[in-house]
Amino acid sequence: MWVYEKKLLYPVEVTTCNPKLARYIMEQYGGADGELAAALRYMNQRYTVPDKVIGVLNDIATEEFSHLEMLATMIYKLTKDATPQQMEEAGLAGHFANHGHALFYENANGVPFTTTYIQAKGDPIADLYEDIAAEEKARATYQWLIDLSDDPGLTDALRFLRERENVHSLRFRESVEILKDERDRKKIF
Amino acid sequence: MNEFEEERLMMQRVQEADFVVVELTLYTNTHPNDEEALDQWREAIKEAARLRRQYENRYGPLSLYSIPSEQAIEVGWRWNQPPWPWQR
Repeated sequence: MWVYEKKLLYPVEVTTCNPKLARYIMEQYGGADGELAAALRYMNQRYTVPDKVIGVLNDIATEEFSHLEMLATMIYKLTKDATPQQMEEAGLAGHFANHGHALFYENANGVPFTTTYIQAKGDPIADLYEDIAAEEKARATYQWLIDLSDDPGLTDALRFLRERENVHSLRFRESVEILKDERDRKKIF
Repeated sequence: MNEFEEERLMMQRVQEADFVVVELTLYTNTHPNDEEALDQWREAIKEAARLRRQYENRYGPLSLYSIPSEQAIEVGWRWNQPPWPWQR
């Protein structure tokens, strides 16, 4: 089970209303390489991996949900005071027509989230390689978002998230090595 | 420092301490024999619990696993009360 913590993993400071930036950040909210995809992918893979790597998948999945909340906070703060005209100028007229000021799991171009973004292969090495790729793609997306951001508070939080992708990628790489070592030991004895 | 800034500072300390636990938990997941890291991890959990207690005594529980302090009850703390994290 999960227990809600009434705090963010890391503070999200937004300087001004900026729906355009919110739209870009939606790529990491409901996009193919985003946090929702990451959280759901790892949470679902954890049932069928060897015991030694369950913790990594469980704990990274849990952290991804806290990243998702940080992104939601960014999008919410960047759009909550936006007029319909400002939403339209930011390319969010379609979003506004469908969702108003609500958030939705979609990418920067309004394509709704789909589980076809994620896989569970039932093969731990195949799954972990997908996870490493997912972290690297997310890291790259955060870099592009940092390049697009002109809000210093937001950039700070995006940098934190980019660094977390690096750490997660490293932990998944170590998990692959742990499984390979175990496999090789079984061959010897 | 006013009341608002004080609360933010204490919240930040909780966030920092909790983050150390998150990071060391992930590290020790893949380095189960690193005794130094395991020591740091246990210490980090203690420190995070200490700072959380300090915060919660004053401002009320951050989760429903903490017992509301008398001080928090006196000032009218309720779980279903803003600000939620995205409203801060």
